[in-house]
Amino acid sequence: MTRLAGRAPRLQLRDIVLMVMLGAVFGFLYWALVQAWNALAVAMGPAGDLAQHVVFGGWLLVAPIAVAIIRRPFVGVIAEVIASIIEVVFLGSPVGAPLLLAALLQGVGSELPFAVTRYRRFSWLLFAISGALGALLVFGYSAARYDWWGQDILLLRLGMQIVSGIVLGGLLAKVIVDALARTGVLDEFAIGRAGHTPRTTARRGGQASASSRRAEAAAEVAEAETAIGAEAESGDSAAPPRPVGPAASADDAADRTLRDGR
Amino acid sequence: MTAERAATRVRSRGLAAEPASALPAGAVRRDREPSRGSWLACCNPTVKFAVLFVASIAVMVLFDPVPVLVLYAAALVAALASARVSPRTLAVGQLPFVAFAVGIVSVNALSRPGTELWPDLPVRITVEGVTIGLALALRAMFIGVLAISFLATTPPRDLLVSLMLHARLSPRYAHALLAGHRMLEAMPQRWATIRAAQSVRAPLRRNGRPRFGPVDAARAAFALLVAQVRASERIALALESRGLGDGPRTVWRPVPLGARDIVLVVVVVAALAVVLVASATGWLTIAALVEPSVFIHGGRRA
Repeated sequence: MTRLAGRAPRLQLRDIVLMVMLGAVFGFLYWALVQAWNALAVAMGPAGDLAQHVVFGGWLLVAPIAVAIIRRPFVGVIAEVIASIIEVVFLGSPVGAPLLLAALLQGVGSELPFAVTRYRRFSWLLFAISGALGALLVFGYSAARYDWWGQDILLLRLGMQIVSGIVLGGLLAKVIVDALARTGVLDEFAIGRAGHTPRTTARRGGQASASSRRAEAAAEVAEAETAIGAEAESGDSAAPPRPVGPAASADDAADRTLRDGR
Repeated sequence: MTAERAATRVRSRGLAAEPASALPAGAVRRDREPSRGSWLACCNPTVKFAVLFVASIAVMVLFDPVPVLVLYAAALVAALASARVSPRTLAVGQLPFVAFAVGIVSVNALSRPGTELWPDLPVRITVEGVTIGLALALRAMFIGVLAISFLATTPPRDLLVSLMLHARLSPRYAHALLAGHRMLEAMPQRWATIRAAQSVRAPLRRNGRPRFGPVDAARAAFALLVAQVRASERIALALESRGLGDGPRTVWRPVPLGARDIVLVVVVVAALAVVLVASATGWLTIAALVEPSVFIHGGRRA
């Protein structure tokens, strides 16, 4: 019945809902990105067609984020396709059905580097490669679609798209995943179970800067606070330290992380 | 400033604008009052989606504006007649393409080598560039009309039920997507709440209003993401507690699949085939229309 679960063991429902939720949030943000793209295209005047390459990497975000959190095969591809379904079917993206095909290619490109390391390594370099590959794969498709081959600016297009892919679709994904992990909301997912929180990777790499140490300290304080809070509430000291309560505390944690992390 | 006023203020701004009003018109009205009475609304959503996909892919082989223009005109007539989309909805839904169309025509005209249209101009504008640019712009408009018609006649719930029944989509994914649809509807409200909370604490500008720059927007977006991750865990728990994915399931209010769908497929495929063949054999190209002599001598562009 489940086609996607043919070879790999079935994904948990929690992972599927998370992918859909990421698709919904990023579908929503992608939609905002389309507006930014349009505004940029108008601002760039006759070169407006190039605006899409500037913001292109933004559309790659969801795949590396989903892979880094769930750490299972095909998750990046599925997440990217789900995001495009949300965009096409629910948000009414004017690009229409071809978006699904582009999303499939983006997902494959973004997931490839993580698949090669068998979903064990999630370094800055891998995220950068992921963004570059995602941008590269879909470039071939777009080039055929819009017949860019005959144009003088083919290489300029390619360069812009890959840079955008690396920065917006690769490195930014790592920033978001690390920030999310610091809030504790991902503790129940594969990323939390693997213990690959940004704290440990920073220590291993030995590259902890002053600001990241500050962020660490802040995260530790936040964790301690919530752990104490949870203990006081439930009296269960073995409970994993994670912020309790609905939106309010999550917002607080998110806020704190961003403010201190920058 | 009260939270309520902050929320109102937030809603009146660019990115924070209430997405319901910012979404394409077709997408918004679909849920409220889908044009259920139309011929297309009674077709099977899976078939409609497949037809939309095939048509969007088929038009990608066309790089001549004339056949694309013919398809676009046909799609406009079909949208008005069979989907009963109002002309206003069609016009508003296509607005995003106008900027795209202008950009794509100008970039192609300026960057594609070929015969110069006006040699006296300081910049090079080529015939090939304008032709391909027009074809690409029209192609986007064509796909846009199809997408608007589809959205205007297809409630998301029917599409997902139909995908489960007729395309063997796993119920686990289908129900998760339906939940995602609900999350999407609740998202503007969540965004407004987060913004209201942030503007209470934000430093004030000189004019007494709270600051809302790109950094604040990023913070709000991140808070939204965190809240949604939590929400997704709760939803997964709720779905699991209802036994989703265990054993065979029945579907409430199944979506029909009938003769009407065969008509839809036949009509669309026939129309596409006629235009593609006419374009490939040179009957329906800009060269054939603009320069009849070229058409007579072998039917291809010089």
